[in-house]
Amino acid sequence: MWPFDGSLASLWLVLYLASFALHAVFVGYVAAGTVYALVAAIRRSADPVAAQVRDWLPFMLGAGITAGVGPLLFIQLLYQRRFYTANLLMGPRWGAVVPALIIGFYALYLAKASERWRRLALGTGALCFGFVAWSWTELHQVMLEDRTWRAMYASGARFHLELAVVPRLAIWLGAMLALFATVAAWSAAPAGRRRLSGLGLAGLIISGLTAAGTIVVSRDFDPAHGWTYVLALAAIAAAVGWGFAARRPDGRGLSLATAATAAALVAGAVVREAPRLALIERSRATADHTGGLVVFAVTLVIGVATIAWIVRTVRRAPG
Amino acid sequence: MSPVDSPIPYYPVNDFGPLMKGLVIGGVGIVHVFLAQFAIGGGMLMWYLERRGQRGHQDARTFVDGYFRILVLVSFVVGALTGVAMWFTTIQVGARTIGLMIDEFHWLWATEWVWFAVEITAGYAFYRYGPRLGGRARLRLLAVYALASWLSLFWINGILSWQLTPGRWLDGGGVWAGFFNASFWPSLIFRTAVSTTLGALAGCIVINTMDLPRDRKAALLRHAARFAAPIAVMPVIALWFFAVLPADSRSWLLGGSMPMTMFVGVAAGASLLIGGYVIVGLLLKRLYINGATATLLLALAFGATAAGEFVREGARKPYTVRGALYSTSIRPEEVAALRELGATAGDPYPLTTTYPTEQLARGAKVERALCDACHTMHGANALVELTRTWTDDQLRLNLAKLQHTKGFMPPFAGNAEDVEALVQLLRYERDDGAAPPAMSAAAATPETLAQIARWLDEAGTQPAGAVK
Repeated sequence: MWPFDGSLASLWLVLYLASFALHAVFVGYVAAGTVYALVAAIRRSADPVAAQVRDWLPFMLGAGITAGVGPLLFIQLLYQRRFYTANLLMGPRWGAVVPALIIGFYALYLAKASERWRRLALGTGALCFGFVAWSWTELHQVMLEDRTWRAMYASGARFHLELAVVPRLAIWLGAMLALFATVAAWSAAPAGRRRLSGLGLAGLIISGLTAAGTIVVSRDFDPAHGWTYVLALAAIAAAVGWGFAARRPDGRGLSLATAATAAALVAGAVVREAPRLALIERSRATADHTGGLVVFAVTLVIGVATIAWIVRTVRRAPG
Repeated sequence: MSPVDSPIPYYPVNDFGPLMKGLVIGGVGIVHVFLAQFAIGGGMLMWYLERRGQRGHQDARTFVDGYFRILVLVSFVVGALTGVAMWFTTIQVGARTIGLMIDEFHWLWATEWVWFAVEITAGYAFYRYGPRLGGRARLRLLAVYALASWLSLFWINGILSWQLTPGRWLDGGGVWAGFFNASFWPSLIFRTAVSTTLGALAGCIVINTMDLPRDRKAALLRHAARFAAPIAVMPVIALWFFAVLPADSRSWLLGGSMPMTMFVGVAAGASLLIGGYVIVGLLLKRLYINGATATLLLALAFGATAAGEFVREGARKPYTVRGALYSTSIRPEEVAALRELGATAGDPYPLTTTYPTEQLARGAKVERALCDACHTMHGANALVELTRTWTDDQLRLNLAKLQHTKGFMPPFAGNAEDVEALVQLLRYERDDGAAPPAMSAAAATPETLAQIARWLDEAGTQPAGAVK
């Protein structure tokens, strides 16, 4: 099935997309959750969803960073020269994402622990995560545009201020809202779930309208061998699910929204990747012939089983 | 040709000002290694003290619940993020090196990632739910955390030690020959001993902050101090490590290069002081260690870690992957072709500074391609200062026969025109750009270039030391 075949590069691609999708769930929760908690803090509302989100944000960021190591590894196999070159062209400004994440992390702890500093901490966190999201979006664009590399290097510019970054970020913003709502809704009370349904729906509308607008303006529609249609259908199904969840928070709407969002996430990851699949470096002799796949596969099974055991153990914890 | 398609990968080079690139990656790397090893030893210590706690030592249990929060807040967060920073920084310093490491070891790196994910999950689970869990679940979670963090070290250690002693991998022995290389076991045991020592010292600091009577603190300190006992085997392991090093690397560390020898001395001296205090003071004499002393010892341990990492990096010279990739990001087999074509013939990136002559511009490109990874022009490890007092011909000779000038330098990967252009650039920079006549035609006569070419031929394209 396109874009997967029997090649080793295809296996890297599968692992890249799977780990990227997992990473997106966590970072979506963190970015949108921080803004949600910030709005609640500014409004001084006693929103139980915001309280729960604040409690979970540091863990979710830790999980997001950990999950992010996977795609960071596999992208270096798929697009090594482009990825490294984009890193280098953006230079120290790209390296700033790490201190931004460290500041953001401790800001989340501060927001959790101190009511006095909460708004400032969440505002700082939101700025940091916004900067990281923007930097990754820029990096993605720089990777694609090898014709501009020489000029960018010669000018010493560290920013790639291109219009294409804006709709890309807007689509991400919508997706993050939808992902956040999906995860947060499962542990929310009916009133909170209703509110999150609206947020999930709003996220889907933002992403959908921005994507549609981009297609109309650029007159460039890529069906990605049908994956784009799958994405659209899944997004519509998710919207329907959120509609049901808003009307009956205890009904099956959330299950439908979750399943459809998961499908949309997978399809969206493929659609996002489609334009640069032709750029995959396929002649990587050293990488093609190296060993260790079996060890990784066995470790992955053990690791997943261990994590499942940990989750089961803590779910049984009293209180 | 697009930079993506060139036979030899050329990457844009960033200037870090007066900071040598090695200092940048060294700074990030030392913090990362220190925190990551602390996380491993801290995990083991907690499992041990949790076990003591469940056998009736209530203070041990109190310690675990307090200490773990510090471990999580410091080592997880900054440790994990400096790990990502290491990746980004390595790309800045030697993109081709990290590319080769990824190509060769991606499945083992992915394996390490799985254990890292298990470590983080177990750690957070304990952090969040530990106080509410039963004794058995607590002990198991801590065991999973400690084991997963150590396995993360196990896998990354093989990749890092491969850079220094790739051994049979160079003969096509494959990924496992590279992974279980000669320095794998001494490195692993050494790092494990360092980890437990760091965990114990940090534990001693935390115990001193606990609100307990002195005798109960002392009892807890004695338990924690046991975790520093492996420091006793470190001298033997260090000797083992030295024994498996390639002969030339060993010679740099043992007097051949005084800066490296001094760092060996700092690492050994600091470790000796810590080991002496731990073995004699804490374990044999059962002395009470207060927070200030424990902090001082931990600071010494940081110094030893920093010096040790410098030694490990320095011992690899002139390679980043011994026998496979020079510190210039050029493969040994590419040197001969670059001698013909010139060092910068394929470099697609323009200069970001303008020079008064083409020869100086060429020199700047040569410097960027062949020197910039380890040197600066005027800052740390400055080329101008290293060559300031050399005569012009001495400079030409020393550059042309670079691997013989200093055994830890790679062979010059350019032609005679490149050498001359670099010579003129160094003179121009030494004289603060005030003497452009130095680049006159007389400075690069056919006779001069012919002489440089002879020197290049005499030096050959092989490194000075044996590859293995």
